Amino acid sequence: MRIAAILTAIVIAGTAIAAVAAPPAQQAIIDQFAAAAKKADPGFSGFSPDAGKTFFFAEQTGGTGEASNCYACHGKDPKKAGETRAGQTIDPIAVSVNPKRFTDMAMVEKWFGRNCDTVLGRECTVVEKGNFLTFMSAQ
Amino acid sequence: MEHQTIPLAAQGSGTSLQRVRVWDRFVRAFHWSLVGAMAVAFATSLLLPKEWALIHVIDGTACVALVAARLVWGWLGPEYARFAAFVRGPAAVIAHLRDIAAGRVHRHRGHNPLGAAMIVALLAGVVVLGVTGTATLGGTLKSGPLAFALSFATGSAAREVHELVAYAVLGLIAAHVAGAIFESRRTRENLALSMVTGLKEARSGDEVPAAVPAHAVLAAILSVTLFAASGFAVATLMKRPALGAPVGALDASYKKECGDCHIAYHPSLLPSAQWTALMDGLARHFGENATLPAATAAPIRSYLTANAAETFDTLAANAFRRVSATDPLRITAAPFWQRTHDEISDAVFKAKPVKSKGNCAACHSDAATGMFRPWNIDIPEVVK
Ligand code: HEC
Ligand code: HEC
Ligand code: HEC
Repeated sequence: MRIAAILTAIVIAGTAIAAVAAPPAQQAIIDQFAAAAKKADPGFSGFSPDAGKTFFFAEQTGGTGEASNCYACHGKDPKKAGETRAGQTIDPIAVSVNPKRFTDMAMVEKWFGRNCDTVLGRECTVVEKGNFLTFMSAQ
Repeated sequence: MEHQTIPLAAQGSGTSLQRVRVWDRFVRAFHWSLVGAMAVAFATSLLLPKEWALIHVIDGTACVALVAARLVWGWLGPEYARFAAFVRGPAAVIAHLRDIAAGRVHRHRGHNPLGAAMIVALLAGVVVLGVTGTATLGGTLKSGPLAFALSFATGSAAREVHELVAYAVLGLIAAHVAGAIFESRRTRENLALSMVTGLKEARSGDEVPAAVPAHAVLAAILSVTLFAASGFAVATLMKRPALGAPVGALDASYKKECGDCHIAYHPSLLPSAQWTALMDGLARHFGENATLPAATAAPIRSYLTANAAETFDTLAANAFRRVSATDPLRITAAPFWQRTHDEISDAVFKAKPVKSKGNCAACHSDAATGMFRPWNIDIPEVVK
């Protein structure tokens, strides 16, 4: 009985982690954000893909640019190509169809820096970034 | 076949006159080929859009080649083709005009002195058009055999002369046609038809040049040698780098960092001061934050200012030195851009695959080189 319960718990936990876990290259980047989040808040318990999804589709205010949400350029379906305001194609942002996404920390930080200012008029928090990456890595 | 005779009722005199071969096969082929080639030259410059410029250049080259061959034939051809036999001084031209005024039908079986003067003027006109056209091509478009030597300013001046001479030649052509019609009536013989068949009536009292044999083989050898030598010279000159034109591809880092949201614009499309202002303001870049890390931005800034509009002599670099007073960082706001693109409908810019005015490469296949040559323009079909 007890062994069965423990096994079930392990299986459930394993599935939950598998559902959230990103491919190794992306996970390495997410881990860096997680470490930073933990340092800032010892109570930090992990990133939430659902919060990342909400963030991606949220209508924001205070942006310095003309776009007021993330999907204005990346598109409503992360698995499909997006488009810049100048009409240039943006490769899909979802890792499942574009495994090169979020594999270079400098690039990730450069674009968070730009796009968060454009859309929200401020830097994104570490948690917002981690949630976003966790969501997109599972897409 | 030369001097083949066909008896025919003379149109005016009522007596039966023989028709003799006056215009040889080369002269006739030359005449009508030049008519066709000049028609194409005028159509591709005055009627059709800029995209036809390359056809215009090739066609203009053909016109000059035709004239060169005619000059050779004017030296080695049969008597009616020889310049020495029909080109006369002003005195002969005046005497001919007096004949016309007095109503005397003094008939030249070949070219009359006035017609000969017209031929010389037309041939010279085509040569001047060839020279000024090549200078325009070299100076303004940085193409062809003179691209290595001529500045944009020289090319622009040549273009003005080219245009003036072209209108003058158009006037000469009109006068030539009017003259042929007038002379056809006066001498009661269809001269245009003679230039097709090569035959003219042999009338008593005709002024006829002394017969000389044609050296067709020698003329052919000379013409071919001339073409080969000029072709070689042109090809050799074209290998030289064009004066003031950019060489090589865009800087790799610039292309990567500034090519994510739109095409990486050639640095010659904005003056140095505007690039500096643009790099200073990346945090507020046309409604977006486009900030770069300082270490990446510095070399890009130097690259842009070192290759700005002032540093090149292409058409685009010259044109984009003048920026918009209200929106100086926008290439598409520059007065030149507004002027050259005002006939393109907004629908074309907004629809796929162009999508925006700034997407130069959608219509200019050589946008990345900064050359923007007219023959590389092609507005793509709108995708619905
Ligand atoms: C104005 C258009 C635009 C908006 C709005 C926008 N992005 Fe982007 N984003 C881009 C472009 C362009 C790229 C780089 C394109 C590429 O690499 O294919 C990019 C790249 C990124 C990257 C880096 C991807 C990688 O491969 O490392 C992240 C992360 C990102 N965006 C997040 C966001 C977030 C979060 C938002 C909303 C707050 C957002 N973007 C809104 C245009 C935009
Ligand atoms: C985050 C996206 C983004 C990046 C990165 C970016 N730009 Fe832009 N750029 C834009 C947008 C958006 C416009 C305005 C397009 C429009 O209005 O059609 C623009 C317009 C321009 C224009 C004016 C084009 C015109 O229409 O005349 C120039 C020049 C320009 N950018 C240069 C640069 C340079 C240089 C860099 C690199 C340092 C750069 N851009 C990087 C988004 C970007
Ligand atoms: C929708 C297609 C389209 C786009 C996009 C476009 N152009 Fe053009 N461009 C043309 C056409 C067509 C002409 C010829 C206009 C004419 O006949 O005078 C032209 C002419 C030019 C010329 C003059 C060429 C000459 O020989 O006189 C330059 C330079 C030029 N464009 C630069 C640009 C630049 C720079 C951009 C981007 C900022 C751009 N164009 C975007 C279609 C386009």
